[in-house]
Amino acid sequence: MSALEVAGASKIFNQGTTKQVDALIDVNLTVNPGEFVSLIGPSGCGKSTLLRLIANLLEPTSGSVSVNNKTAAQARLDQDYGMAFQQAGLFDWRTVSKNIELPLELKGWDKAKREARAKEMLELVKLPEFADLYPWQLSGGMQQRIAIARALAAHPPLLLMDEPFGALDEMTREYMQGELLRICGETSTTVVFVTHSIPEAVYLSNRVVVMSPRPGRITEVIDVDLGSKRNEDTRAADGFFKSITAVREALRGTHADHAAANAIRGVEDR
Amino acid sequence: MAENNALRVIARLRQIGPALVFGVSFLALWEAAVRGFDLKPYFLAAPSKIFEQFFKNYSRIWDASMVSGGNALVGLIVGTVFGVAMSFILSRYRFLGELITPLAIALNAIPIFVLVAVLNNMYSITSEIPRRVMVTLVVYFIVLVNVAKGLTQVRSTHVELMRSYAASEFVILRKVRVPNAVPYLFTALKVAAPASVITAFVSEYFGGLQNGLGSRITSNIANAKNAAAWAYVLGACLLGLAFYTVSIILESATRKGDTK
Ligand SMILES: Nc1ncnc2c1ncn2[C@@H]1O[C@H](COP(=O)(O)OP(=O)(O)OP(=O)(O)O)[C@@H](O)[C@H]1O
Ligand SMILES: [Mg+2]
Repeated sequence: MSALEVAGASKIFNQGTTKQVDALIDVNLTVNPGEFVSLIGPSGCGKSTLLRLIANLLEPTSGSVSVNNKTAAQARLDQDYGMAFQQAGLFDWRTVSKNIELPLELKGWDKAKREARAKEMLELVKLPEFADLYPWQLSGGMQQRIAIARALAAHPPLLLMDEPFGALDEMTREYMQGELLRICGETSTTVVFVTHSIPEAVYLSNRVVVMSPRPGRITEVIDVDLGSKRNEDTRAADGFFKSITAVREALRGTHADHAAANAIRGVEDR
Repeated sequence: MAENNALRVIARLRQIGPALVFGVSFLALWEAAVRGFDLKPYFLAAPSKIFEQFFKNYSRIWDASMVSGGNALVGLIVGTVFGVAMSFILSRYRFLGELITPLAIALNAIPIFVLVAVLNNMYSITSEIPRRVMVTLVVYFIVLVNVAKGLTQVRSTHVELMRSYAASEFVILRKVRVPNAVPYLFTALKVAAPASVITAFVSEYFGGLQNGLGSRITSNIANAKNAAAWAYVLGACLLGLAFYTVSIILESATRKGDTK
């Protein structure tokens, strides 16, 4: 049984009008339970759109998405998703702690249990002293960490993250990567993770999915063989650099195909 | 501690100081002009005379303020309730919003309180209802436009997040749209509160009962009691200020986190 199956999915925005955008064409992707898959590709290639299709926030124009052998719609109703968007998207009128509790509230957890979990999550993202502040009193990177804590709080079976670490400094970023792997390992969470950073994709993933722009499609899937236990030594391992090179070459390929100089801007070698 | 308090008083004075200096010098200049040029009281009354009249007629000004202020308050409350209720309906049925919002904005731009003349014809001469209806209308549109905006202009990330948690439209309304609209409501009230006083007051110029601030001003002017008329104007200013202040206090009491 696969945790996620995207079969022949296409997404065309504003079909039949002059503003038509072929965002995704014939995307096929199977993710196994507990697997960590990263999506990487130039800006505008449809990574966020694919994530939205998976989350059932958008309907595919054709093709299908199933999660744990259910339709995406059913998975959403069963609250199987945890999401972190490109923007932190915290609620200004809720304290930091109450923001993290939101998905738990919607699952009907009682107050004590919610507060305990929020506290735990705050420790995890190393912001325990900020529980009672409001989001706008935090820096952008801190807000992003709260959004990650919120996405993880309910231990959802399928975690969808859209460039969640983009606003973080390098050290926090590496720390969060480690924590994300730890939590997902402990709770056997399946993750689809969008990033612009090749090392990040390689460090985190079992597989890196490389996408090409306009129309967005999957050009290559690269297996990363770094074992299941990853730590700081992983970042210096030979396999790590080998995989980075492989992903970089795959991305070059997509750029060469499209010879779109502006597309290169989308990928950084962080 | 004491030093701290002293510093706070100084900071406060810095804030209101310029306005205070301006106000006092303006009054002094006014007084000087009236005396210096020997202006006749029917042309321009001196501030000292106005204050004298104000304290002499204090209880009558108070009674008239209660009448105008009462009309404003009733209209403010009823208009806010209806405005909020309608904005919920509009946010639920977007097409209605597209029909009504431009109309509401257009109505806001024209002085609809002249409608009170028509309303006066519909009710008996001793009725306060026409004025209250007028205030209600003015407040209603201000509240409607703002709160409807607050309910509909929510961040798309917020809505997507809620949908990813399988939240129903009702839950999204309760947990996203309503809290988002609260600051918009208070912005509306900050505009509507003084507007309600002005409307209540101006409505009195179109006939009906002669017991409010507006009618007192007209009757005092008619009797060449200029300073007394100004005293009532002062009462009207204070009434408007009181409404505004209350709306600001309400706003800051509901704003979250600022004072922490
Ligand atoms: N709601 C929408 N309506 C119309 N077009 C859209 C919509 N959402 C996305 N698109 C288009 O689909 C394409 C893919 O967008 P998407 O946001 O998925 O890109 P992305 O890969 O996430 O880019 P980035 O790395 O910059 O975040 C873009 O050309 C975008 O303009
Ligand atoms: Mg994106």
